[in-house]
Amino acid sequence: MADPQLKEKVEELVAGNPVLLFMKGTPEMPRCGFSMRVVQVLDSMDVEYGAVDVLPALQPLREVTAEISDWQTFPQLYVNGELLGGADIVEEMFASGELAEALGVEQPATTAQQEPAPPPQQSPPLQIE
Amino acid sequence: MVDLAELTSMIEAALPGAEVAVEDEDGGGQHLRATVKAPQFEGLSRIDQHRLVKAAVKERFDDGAIHALSIKTEVAG
Repeated sequence: MADPQLKEKVEELVAGNPVLLFMKGTPEMPRCGFSMRVVQVLDSMDVEYGAVDVLPALQPLREVTAEISDWQTFPQLYVNGELLGGADIVEEMFASGELAEALGVEQPATTAQQEPAPPPQQSPPLQIE
Repeated sequence: MVDLAELTSMIEAALPGAEVAVEDEDGGGQHLRATVKAPQFEGLSRIDQHRLVKAAVKERFDDGAIHALSIKTEVAG
């Protein structure tokens, strides 16, 4: 059973943000490849979105999203209060143009050309294990 | 070890008439991919199509046999 206070908070966030991404990490520093893929898709489109890092409360948030949208894995992209999907669905809908339609934005012109991603502006931070 | 044939038949049982393929992408059972083409998907959003597939194998998520399943769905014509 999900924590009622957390559930209420999540429902408020979903209702208050037309485009909301629950992800592992932040858009600036995603902590999971699937979350990163959704961020890349959203950043390629002219859309404002809110992002929630689920890592600090992963299990409680899984319980909440299981109840509100019957989905327990992250990332999760909500558009106008409805769960659109995770990375697989977001990429598929992006490729087909359905995502742009759902978001009410223009499909970016570059998608048809399969341009390579621009090189990162700086090398990723080094990690010492 | 994940039983791919069992997962396939669980999905087929939940969605009669579906074409189902379940692959183990890395050979270690950690990255599974299910490709499902089913007439039942007609008129459903992608998320609802995926929910049907996940529900079909829910038992294997619950007992820990599988952790992650990529899903690709298509409406059977």
